[in-house]
Amino acid sequence: MPAMAADARATPTARMSAAFTPERLGAPTTVSFAFRVHDGGGPPAPLAGIQLSYPRGLGLATSGLGVAACTQSELEVSGPAACPPNSHMGTGSALVELRIGPTLVHETVTLTLLAGPSPDGYLHLLVYALGELPVYAAVVLTAVLLPEHLSIVVPPIPSLPEAPYVSLAQMHLTVGGHLTYYETVNGRQVPYHPAGIGVPNSCPHAGFPFAAHFSFLDGARASARTAVACPRHR
Amino acid sequence: MGHPRTRLARRVRTQYVALLGVVGLGALTTVAFGAPASADSSAPRARAARVLDVHDEGKLHYIRSSGEQIIDEGHATGSFPGWVKVRFLYNGEPNVDARFTIYGSRGSISARGTARLSSPTSPSPSFHGSMTITGGSGRYAHIHGRGELYGVYYRRSYALTVQAIGKLPY
Repeated sequence: MPAMAADARATPTARMSAAFTPERLGAPTTVSFAFRVHDGGGPPAPLAGIQLSYPRGLGLATSGLGVAACTQSELEVSGPAACPPNSHMGTGSALVELRIGPTLVHETVTLTLLAGPSPDGYLHLLVYALGELPVYAAVVLTAVLLPEHLSIVVPPIPSLPEAPYVSLAQMHLTVGGHLTYYETVNGRQVPYHPAGIGVPNSCPHAGFPFAAHFSFLDGARASARTAVACPRHR
Repeated sequence: MGHPRTRLARRVRTQYVALLGVVGLGALTTVAFGAPASADSSAPRARAARVLDVHDEGKLHYIRSSGEQIIDEGHATGSFPGWVKVRFLYNGEPNVDARFTIYGSRGSISARGTARLSSPTSPSPSFHGSMTITGGSGRYAHIHGRGELYGVYYRRSYALTVQAIGKLPY
């Protein structure tokens, strides 16, 4: 059973950035988030959850992304390739840290964002995280889209026997992007690219605000904020 | 047996119920009574009121959007035909918000609806809820009341199919 690191830790700190691609008011866009978590010199405590706040009015729910659902069980068994193409919503990467003996090892993880089944009327998302070297691990993070924020639950990620849980040091996630969906037209499956996330027509004075609140398994918390500068009208 | 005035009131009410019974769906104008009718001239007088029996469906196409708000327009067919403009808001809550106005030949009717979206990961989730009249113009300047709202939201095209049902005094 993996053990929590017992050493005294400094208070974790976090930084984040966000971007729209393209940057145009009133136009569909791709939204990217990036986080970096620090904890003094060592790896931060394992994450338990992320509350990601996004700007009021941003059209995540109306984006047309995720028009099919992938179940967590099929994702865990067969990976994202087994999920319907129309359930794919984005991609990303993460840098995790794990201690193997006295050595701190970094591992790059690929992320796939998918729509999950909705038991309660809210849009549920699944993040499939796959790391292969030096430790193979495939983990599914669950998330739910709520008004103006995305709540992500991060399960404890084991590494090696008797080693601490894996710590997340960096994460980059893009919602939207170059996705290919399929629709039935006259009995045939026709590919199309979903438009993306609608940017509001007006921009707050200080730009579109984003924030992330991190909670760690050891009870620590950290927050970060950023804003996307006001883009021009399309 | 009973008092003659009571019998008259019963007969008037029975005729009124019979009148409603023979009127089918569609826009109708009927006479409702603010108080039981009476042969006594000092009793409250009958008050004329009209009821619009709305049973309309609109197939609406995307006009523009701003973030989580979509604006659609299109023809409404049914008992109150005309042109419909809808502001549809879906922010991730299971309930969607729709503010719409139907422009008919004799005036317009505006309403606000709240409806619960089923299966949000479907390409075309349906919704069902209630609507409340928020105003009107022309012949329907004093319209009020509540009704039911049904619809389908097409996530690929941002189109809407909306059905509004209600008996609305005006």
